[in-house]
Amino acid sequence: MRLRTMAAVAPMLAFPLVFAAPAAAQESVQIQLDALNKSGVSGTATMTAQDNGDLTVTINARGLVPNAPHAQHIHGAANGTDFMCPDQSADKDGDGFVNTEEGLPDYGDIFVSLTTSGDTSKKSGLAVDRMPKADANGTVTYRRTIKAAELPAGTVKFLKDLHIVQHGIDVNDNDKYDLEGLGESTFAKSLGVSGIPEEATNPASCGMVSGAAAGSMPAGGVETGDGSTEPGGQPVLVILGGLAAAAAGVVLRRRPRTDS
Amino acid sequence: MVTAAGLVTVGVRAGDAPPGAAGVPPSSSVTASAGATTSAGATAAPPSRPVPPRRPGVGTRPRELTTGPVLPTSAPVRLDIPTLRVSTGLIGLGLQPDGTMEVPGDAATAGWYTAAPTPGSLGPAVVAAHVNLDGRPGVFTALATLRPGDTVEVARADGTVAVFAITTVQRHPKDRFPTEAVYGAIDHAGLRLITCGGDFDTARRSYRDNVVAFARLVRTERR
Ligand SMILES: [Cu+2]
Repeated sequence: MRLRTMAAVAPMLAFPLVFAAPAAAQESVQIQLDALNKSGVSGTATMTAQDNGDLTVTINARGLVPNAPHAQHIHGAANGTDFMCPDQSADKDGDGFVNTEEGLPDYGDIFVSLTTSGDTSKKSGLAVDRMPKADANGTVTYRRTIKAAELPAGTVKFLKDLHIVQHGIDVNDNDKYDLEGLGESTFAKSLGVSGIPEEATNPASCGMVSGAAAGSMPAGGVETGDGSTEPGGQPVLVILGGLAAAAAGVVLRRRPRTDS
Repeated sequence: MVTAAGLVTVGVRAGDAPPGAAGVPPSSSVTASAGATTSAGATAAPPSRPVPPRRPGVGTRPRELTTGPVLPTSAPVRLDIPTLRVSTGLIGLGLQPDGTMEVPGDAATAGWYTAAPTPGSLGPAVVAAHVNLDGRPGVFTALATLRPGDTVEVARADGTVAVFAITTVQRHPKDRFPTEAVYGAIDHAGLRLITCGGDFDTARRSYRDNVVAFARLVRTERR
């Protein structure tokens, strides 16, 4: 073919000339939310970078404390550090629960607070009045698009290094966060807020990246030919038989010896 | 794998196929294992994952939810497909006003879809090029002849070369394009090479089908 030596510059009316400078990839990252602290929570989340740099976050999780607000955050950093979700071995004080401070070395600091309105910075990390409330069945459904200007630098570039953590568990099964459960939140206290139950701040789920997709899906097929030559190859069709019962319609082709 | 599967060679030549057909029946797939029990990915991927983790510890944790090697995001700059003797630069492709993907303006250039992950990073990277244009064979004129295991190399702006192995080559009518399979979420670093195939519809000046070669990252080189 020797196409590498060709410099085809003929004007193509049927096909737009494209000289777009490659921008940062626009992609959608899929997250699998798994239970922490035996909360029974499970779910999925997506973080989709929009072409204007905004970030759309969706969360669908169940098994959370019903009718209770759940602080939720993107954790991690935009510096190449790939944090992970903690397992029970992160319970350094041995109280049977991985609390928020004990999880931080694994999942990183609060990067974005996934509030329902207003500020999304780390400062809103415990703004439970603006955090999503689970419904009567313990389901949290969340969707918010955060403006590019409000995102920490590097969010989109390092999207796949980030995690989502939901907080709030009910260890004494009274359908609320109370001091009877696990006492006072040492994490809240470290931020200068007293009297917050540890149940409200302990992690209920942590989500790691499980996959990625295109950020937006093109419509239909791709117009990549005008029929002006025979496609190269002259393939020889080989049909599988024998063991390959399911192979009807499946073909293998030998690469031709000749090149077009 | 060919003999083990009990091949019947029927010797259909390209000349027996419809004019302009790229040799793959619509919506058929070509995989190394064909009707065998394993998936295409399992057959084409090497038994081991020789790529070192991108950072210490990454890829070795038991709870990692993704599979295979994964590179950080970095724009692609060059595409090499040794078995097709393809070596070409890459431009960025976005969407046209009608929602379809842009395509390169000439036969000799391939483009990468910038609203998808970059090649080598987690997710489906997408590269499109013409099968032919303005009387010239395009970069992807012989895309339909790729076979599982063939390598595709993408040089990236960060100096790494992401080396992919073809897992399956498929042909689909454009009006039944497998959007989810091509652009949807995957748990590994994938690559999709797209061109045209099948019959040429002279009235619409368009091929009826797209040929899509699917690949997954197997290793990384530094040049
Ligand atoms: Cu958090």
